[in-house]
Amino acid sequence: MRFHVVKRDNWPLWKRAVAYLIAVVAALLIGAVILLAIGVNPIDYYYQLFTMGTVGNRFAYKTFMNYIKEFLPLALTSVALSLAFKMKFWNIGGEGQFIMGSISATYIALTLGQTLPMWLTLIVMCVVAMLVAGLYGLLAGFLKVKFGTNETLMTLMLNYIALYLLYFIGETKASWNIFLQESSMRPVFVNFSKFVSFPSIKMGGKFELNICVILTAIIGVLIYIYLKRTKHGYEISVIGDSVGTAKYAGMKTNKIVLRTAFISAALIGLAASFKVGSAGVLSTAITDDVGWTGVIVAWLAQLNTGMIFVVSALICVLQFGSTVAATTYAQVDSSFANMLQGIILFLVLAADFFIRFRIVRVKKGE
Amino acid sequence: MKKLIAIFLSALMLLSLVSCGASDSNEATGDNAKDLKVGAIYINSKNDTAGYTYAHHNGITTAMKELGLDVNTQLFIVDEVPEDPEQVRAAVDTLVGKNVDIIFGISFGYIDALETAAAEYPEVIFSHATGYKSNETNFNNYFGRAYQARYLSGIAAGLKSLQTGNNNVGYVAAYGTEYAETASGINGFALGVQAVNPNAKVYVKKLGNWADEVNESAFATELISSFGCGIIAQHCDSAQPQIAAENAGMFGCGYNSDMSPDAPKAHLTAAIWNWNVYYRTAMEAAMNCGSADNFVATMGTPAYYGGLKENFVDISPISENCAPNTQKAIDAVRELIVNGEWDVFSGVKLSITADGVVTKADADLLDNAGNVIVAAGGASVEDGVITGTMNYYVAGVQEA
Amino acid sequence: MAEQYAIEMRGITKTFGSVVANKGVNLNVKNGEILALLGENGSGKTTLMNMLSGIYTPDSGSIHINGSEVKIDSPEDSKKLGIGMVHQHFKLVDVFSAADNIWMGKEKSGFVLKKKRYSEIDSIIKRFGFELDPEKKVYNMSVSEKQTLEIIKVLYYGAKIIILDEPTAVLTVQEIEKLFNVLRRMKEQGHAIIIITHKLNEVMDISDRVAIMRKGEYITTVNTQETNEQELTELMVGRKIDLNIDRPVVETTRPLLEVRNLTIKNDEGAVAIDNVSFYIRGGEILGVAGIAGCGQKELCESIAGLRPIQSGQMIHKGDNIVGLPPKAILEKGISMSFIPEDRLGMGLAPSMSIIDNMLLKNYRDSKGPMVDRKRGRADAEQVIADLAVATPSPETPVRRLSGGNVQKVLLGREIKAGPNVLITAYPVRGLDINSSYMIYDILNKQKVDGVGILFVGEDLDVMISLCDKILVLCHGKVMGVVHAHKTNKEELGLMMTGALDLSEKYADKPAGIARDTLFGENNNGQEG
Repeated sequence: MRFHVVKRDNWPLWKRAVAYLIAVVAALLIGAVILLAIGVNPIDYYYQLFTMGTVGNRFAYKTFMNYIKEFLPLALTSVALSLAFKMKFWNIGGEGQFIMGSISATYIALTLGQTLPMWLTLIVMCVVAMLVAGLYGLLAGFLKVKFGTNETLMTLMLNYIALYLLYFIGETKASWNIFLQESSMRPVFVNFSKFVSFPSIKMGGKFELNICVILTAIIGVLIYIYLKRTKHGYEISVIGDSVGTAKYAGMKTNKIVLRTAFISAALIGLAASFKVGSAGVLSTAITDDVGWTGVIVAWLAQLNTGMIFVVSALICVLQFGSTVAATTYAQVDSSFANMLQGIILFLVLAADFFIRFRIVRVKKGE
Repeated sequence: MKKLIAIFLSALMLLSLVSCGASDSNEATGDNAKDLKVGAIYINSKNDTAGYTYAHHNGITTAMKELGLDVNTQLFIVDEVPEDPEQVRAAVDTLVGKNVDIIFGISFGYIDALETAAAEYPEVIFSHATGYKSNETNFNNYFGRAYQARYLSGIAAGLKSLQTGNNNVGYVAAYGTEYAETASGINGFALGVQAVNPNAKVYVKKLGNWADEVNESAFATELISSFGCGIIAQHCDSAQPQIAAENAGMFGCGYNSDMSPDAPKAHLTAAIWNWNVYYRTAMEAAMNCGSADNFVATMGTPAYYGGLKENFVDISPISENCAPNTQKAIDAVRELIVNGEWDVFSGVKLSITADGVVTKADADLLDNAGNVIVAAGGASVEDGVITGTMNYYVAGVQEA
Repeated sequence: MAEQYAIEMRGITKTFGSVVANKGVNLNVKNGEILALLGENGSGKTTLMNMLSGIYTPDSGSIHINGSEVKIDSPEDSKKLGIGMVHQHFKLVDVFSAADNIWMGKEKSGFVLKKKRYSEIDSIIKRFGFELDPEKKVYNMSVSEKQTLEIIKVLYYGAKIIILDEPTAVLTVQEIEKLFNVLRRMKEQGHAIIIITHKLNEVMDISDRVAIMRKGEYITTVNTQETNEQELTELMVGRKIDLNIDRPVVETTRPLLEVRNLTIKNDEGAVAIDNVSFYIRGGEILGVAGIAGCGQKELCESIAGLRPIQSGQMIHKGDNIVGLPPKAILEKGISMSFIPEDRLGMGLAPSMSIIDNMLLKNYRDSKGPMVDRKRGRADAEQVIADLAVATPSPETPVRRLSGGNVQKVLLGREIKAGPNVLITAYPVRGLDINSSYMIYDILNKQKVDGVGILFVGEDLDVMISLCDKILVLCHGKVMGVVHAHKTNKEELGLMMTGALDLSEKYADKPAGIARDTLFGENNNGQEG
């Protein structure tokens, strides 16, 4: 008996959804087996994970607020990345762009925060962070357009430059370094939350909805429209599909590549200023890996803007929930989420394969 | 998509309202001491088998067992929390949601987040390792006089250098004067070496990182080959510097744990921490203080700072590789410190002969630029290790 | 008739997803026979042959070699059974010599390259009457030499059954004749040969029998001597078809587009078009003939503004268009549709819908930042209706359409834009006969409407009947411009290979320069 792979016709949406669902469930089952093997009750663990420990928790509202804090930068970064990915510009420099955005937003908060009115400081923070991050992304775009460098490698390397710049700022006490607290002998970042912070809206109870949630939702809708309806979005799609065709149609492909690389990175800068503006302090771990996770999210959501929000929300439940669930189980550390994420990704890839192909048993002819 | 977000947000709000209303009953702070719930925030994985997080985790679980607390049901850990205030706050919120009574944060960078958390949750005790902030009620910090143990290991190294006739001593350190923690360790060690061998030089090679096994080994090798060092001390996680010393036929002083199994022919002794000593003290205080705002009062100080006396720091048993009379000299100095007769960073210098005889004499404590830190006969400046003002090397130390 | 066949396929069925590529196909070849496998594109010829060469395995059915059933699971199996296939796309290492390309596939050849490999391979070359130097490097070879090498390779490994997939597509008339002579010699030596083609004249010329396939199904096998082109076409297409291409006579205008002394480099920096001059009048189809890679692509790209030129001038209606951006050239009404070998590479965005592809050149025209998809939809629906594009809906991504429909979409969009100069390269590449004729009709309609058409083509028969004049290129140089009704395939073939140069035939009129030129009238082209 032999098998071979055969291409499949297009499946309807619901069938594809079911395939992906099966992949996720299968991943959770594999996770359950691993949990069992290390002596953890998987049902209880998953219960804790998916409720994020909120049931019977008098600080559940805090959990949700913390959850949203993790969700927002990830969703916005993933949306930003999807913009570039749609054009087949492989911007994996989300980390670096986020860091550059964070540093510049913090710089604005520290220098202008006490003189300008808060709302103005926040706007300047956003604008400057977008500019700096955007230019950082543009650099990779420029090198690609000008010298034909590989943007994947470039953005990757630029990540490390940004990261070590952040470490340098975070570890070097010096008179120029306004990022660090003067009073502390050991390097500690200055906290500016007292005078610069994105406002929150009280939602009844103790739950507060940060204004960034609303802004991110609006940006999501705008990007959706940008990609689907505008001429810019159309150009991005054509270039992503075939650069030759785009040139043939008279598009200035270089200009479009640069523009999109800039917008993509600038949005990541905006995500960074939202993050810094809500946290009120810089840190060496400010990105929380959104630049990396965002790539996975964008891919899992197949660059669909709406799906990106859904997938980010789910990935955050996974990450946040597994931290909560891990508190009670000595055997499982918070990295379990990463492993589970890996298994899910792997199986969703497999599901993707089965959506596009099917395996046929070779029948003996008569 | 708008609809989607709307649904998402309303679901969130609904859930939060429900859970807010649900349970405001379960008050924290154990009335029954044995109900103490311990929370901990780690920088690395709680499943580590070596290193900083491991040492603390070991200390906490050991203390809990000593006190008859159940590690499986009474200990809640959020691990792999980077020094990011937002993430530390999220970890605190998670632990508070688990109704813990006391939260230990083990990494320095948690400092500001724990300070604000302590103000926000007055019913929970916050205890911060290696920090310097505290309040008068529910927030303290703790650290140890590791420099005392360093000084003792320095004596072992000094005697060995006399025996081998090689005055160059190497020191692979995570950082140098950037952190008082590393600077005090280097200085304590150097003063111990010089008490025996006044001609000895300590060459410090900085990693710029708390854990970097590759460079830990490479730097030790470089200290031996380029600076002629015969003894390698270290302030970093792995035993790589000791192994490098052994491979070069040299000697070494370890850190954090007895590294003799890693380098049986090289290892002299290691400065070690007994974190469980503090954790036990803190947990007992938490059980006995009645309410969280009495914690600092019960501890007696907002900055716990144990040393050889409390057995919080110590050295591992000296190995066969040590020079004769090492044990004798160390015992004599240990007695001076434990009895409070003398401390390392003071205006009194110890001199130790090859026979292990210890004598005291007043002398200026100088930094390596020749400035007087403590005038002859002055009192110890050990506070510099807590508040982080020690940002210099003592005379005889230089960066390689 | 209990005849012993070299190869016999019985009831072969192969499906890809829901697409049935082959359905109950029967095929047989005798030793010492040339069988032509005739069918339109997508009729399943290549799939069927790939099952003989071990690339695919049949879902059902059986294969017999010299009377006994065999299983072919891999190309190795196929090789061991003495089957050799010469693919359309050559599988050669450029930097190796001819002999080494053959040598490297040999098992147990050892590590040492022995001198005798040249003589060994040379003897094979001599035996079949090939012309090839075994020491020549592949990168120095012409297309036909590479193909020869592929055939020698197959023979060297002892193949008795030889399959050639569209071998003539890349060859000139003279080269084809050479190839056929070799095939005849192989046949004499007892080889069984299957040749895949859709060119009827070649079938009539070379084959003993013709097996015909249509839409994956086996139709019949006929003896070549007992049939004719018309019958074969009907069998292949499934109904009667008129094989004549119209050439309407139209009153032509003064030159619309004049190209003078044009020199262009290709991507590698070598000269692709060398001092070429020609002109197109409105209401005329100018064919461009030449073997693959003689500069057609670069020429088209330059006119469309996609490729910088080294020197020369291009005058459209008296205006210089050299150096204009592609968009400006489009606005002048010069439209280019280039069908590359992969069909989708230039001109279409494959994963976007027909609607979006309609918008490609005019999406900027709408006001505001938004794309006007209503207009795209209207255009798409009109093109679908006018050109009978088979598609589930205007939203269907172009890559899901069949080749003919893709080309209709492309051409439909170009014509919709109402150009005055239409540059079209290989518009019928890979199309079935029906679709091809439809495209010729579309082009003729444009011609009647006064559009000047530059037609870069492959099939000389088609060019001779469709075009008014034919420009022949060889290695980027003009070999002459001939009137289509005054020339023949042999002459064109000689010109394409450079053996015949008619560019200076008329002393008073250099080729490619119109007597009634608009050059200089608007005084914007400096001579050079």
